[in-house]
Order: sequence, then structure tokens, then C-alpha cells
Amino acid sequence: MNREGTIYTIVFVFIVSFAFVLLLSLTNQATIEQVELNREIVRQGAILSAMGFDAEGSEEIQQKYDSVAADPDAGLYVATINGQVVYGTLFAGPGLWGTIEGVLAVTADLGEIVGVEIVSDNETPGLGGRINESWFKDQFRGERVADDGITVTQTAGDGDPDPTNSLVDGVTGATRTSDSMEAIVNRELQRLRSVEIQQILRSLESQGGNA
Amino acid sequence: MSDVVDIRPGAILKNNLWSNNPIFMQILGICSALAVTNLLTNTAIMTLGVTLVTGFSSLTVSLLKKLIPRKVRMIVQTLIIAFYVIIVDLVLKAFLPEISKNLGPYVGLIITNCIIMGRAEAFAQSNGPIVSFWDGITSGLGYMGVLLVMAVFRELLGFGTLFGYQIMPAAFVPWTIMVMPPSAFFLLGLIIWAGKTMMGGEKA
Repeated sequence: MNREGTIYTIVFVFIVSFAFVLLLSLTNQATIEQVELNREIVRQGAILSAMGFDAEGSEEIQQKYDSVAADPDAGLYVATINGQVVYGTLFAGPGLWGTIEGVLAVTADLGEIVGVEIVSDNETPGLGGRINESWFKDQFRGERVADDGITVTQTAGDGDPDPTNSLVDGVTGATRTSDSMEAIVNRELQRLRSVEIQQILRSLESQGGNA
Repeated sequence: MSDVVDIRPGAILKNNLWSNNPIFMQILGICSALAVTNLLTNTAIMTLGVTLVTGFSSLTVSLLKKLIPRKVRMIVQTLIIAFYVIIVDLVLKAFLPEISKNLGPYVGLIITNCIIMGRAEAFAQSNGPIVSFWDGITSGLGYMGVLLVMAVFRELLGFGTLFGYQIMPAAFVPWTIMVMPPSAFFLLGLIIWAGKTMMGGEKA
């Protein structure tokens, strides 16, 4: 058979593509469950961590996650930690390169941020990607929420230790990512104030959510 | 490049690791050398991925070379490379989710690494499967070596750490430039200079 002929070429490309794609789908099928599970655990871990739980390892995460009252469709979570009711909300908003997804947790009166966790982002590794680092995220812990939300901006030091000034130190060299974080968190605070969301949160709260 | 290719395993090893190193002699695979060298752990996993993909792509291309029509040669090579890259991506996602998250889009971009295509086209297309696999693996190792050296400098000076462990004293002020792509240009230039100088000495 003529190896350079049109028919052979078409048949060959068809068979090769079919074989490789088949192998890929099999591999995908074999790993998809594990991949989904990993993703779910990362998400649950981030929700717990933002709300102030201490949970490490997939088993402890899944176990403690059961004590959180959740409305996954609305991305809302309610838990009681040390007698204090904490609201958590999943957020997604535009960063510099792609969507930043994460969790924001606040006290029930929306007056104080309990914590912020990042679930996924496509920010520049080493620059905007540093929003994943604890020095950045820990600044949100206990931060007071001002009437117009919080501010993420460049300060002189490395991190802003004062929780009362509604101010978070941005990432050096990643102004756009820092601005995005400010916009996302403030938009989410706004969303939590709305009437429908408050209703869902109240009903979740009455369902329990005892840790 | 020498005109006659020596296909003894030892000669291939020396050639790919040093005298014909893909990075500082052939200047191939530079995009990822600039992008993923600011953290050692990421660099190590990424270059391991490239090494495996290069090895197995060369093996597969060599096995299929008698069947591939010349006019669709490149397309089929790309298909084979993409196949292995997606496998690496899936394995990382399933078993090393943390690293997969850190590497982000760069794993998918292994497909565009010219070293892999270069070895498939220049070596595997005209040599046996086993020696092609060895050629691919050693080319990957040559690439890995240079990238790890760059990552050591960039992580140490940019973050003060190695593999995430603090090395530099607390008073050390990290060089932000080392985290950003421009520093990779400077470092790569220095490495190419150093490599070529040392090689010039050998030949004389």
C-alpha cells in the first residue's frame, strides 16, 4: 500500500487519533473520582479554615464539615464556633488573569471578618499568587468592616497588624490582584447584607450548625 | 552539532547533558525556563514531567515511524506529545493536587516545549525505540539540570528559601526581581555564557 497516498494518510490519522483519545478517556475515567474528591476536600477545607475551624487531613476536614449547616446552591454556610455564629460564603470574582474563587467568613452581625481563604486562582505565581500565603490571609482575621467595606492597599510594612482600621496590606508588585481582592470581598459583604441572603442565613442558623 | 550522530548510550548522555545541552547550546525550551523557575519544588516536578514526556514521546514516535506518512509527520508527533502531557496533567491532578494547583497552566504548556518536538524530529524519527527513549530522557535531564540551577538562585534570592525551607537569615531582604520573569533572562544569559566559556576551554 502506498504509505504517502491520501487514503492511507486519512485512515492512519483517523486510527491514531482514535486510539490516543480512547486511551486518554480511559485515564480520565480512572482518575476523575479522585480529582473530584480532591477538589471537594480543598473546598471544604477552605470553608472550615475561613470560618475559624482547625482541621487538617482529609478525614478531619470531612468530619468537621458535617457540623456546618450548608446551602451549597447559594454558596452559604453557617456554623457556631465557641458560642459565636459565623457566616461563610463562597465567592468568585475577576482577578488579573482569571477568576479568583474563595471563601469569606464573617460574624453574624457582619461587623467583623472571621477569615478569608482562596480556593483557586490564576494569578502570577510569586506575585499575585501570594494572596494564598498566610501573611496575606491572616490580615483578614478579626478585621473590622467599615461602612464602605475594607481597603486592600500598599502600606509601608509587611502586612497590616491592626484589625480595627478595616485595612489590609496588599501584595507588593501585584496591585491589580490586590485591587481585585478588595472589590471581591466588598461585593461579597454587600451580597450578605441583602434581604434574600439574610433569610437563607437565618433559616440555616435555625437548622443548627453546632460545632 | 556534529554531522554524524553518535548513538552509543554514553555519548548520547554526555551530548544531551553537556556538549549539546538543549538549553544552553540549542537554546530550546526557553519559555518554561523563564516561567517556572522561581520555586524549586515546582521546577523539579515540572522538569520531571518534561523528562518523562520527552522520553515516552520519542519512544512512541520511534515505534510508529515506519507507519507515519511524511506529510502528517508533525501533526502525529504533536498528537503523541499532547497525549503524554495530558496523562501527566491527570496524574498530577489526582495524586499531587497541591503541586498541580501551583503549576497551573504550565503543565499544559509542556506541549509547546520545543525540546520534545526537536528530539522526536531530529532523533526518534531515524533511530530505534530504545535508544530514542534514552535520548529523550537524557535531553529532559539536561533541561532539568539547567532549570534546577536557575531555580536555586531564584528561590534563594527571591524568597530566601530552598524547597520552601527558610535558608537565608531573617534580616535578608528578598529580591523581588528574582521572582519576576526578567531575572530569568539575566540568569539564563549568565548560564549560557558560563556554559559556552567552559566548553570553549575544553575544546582548546
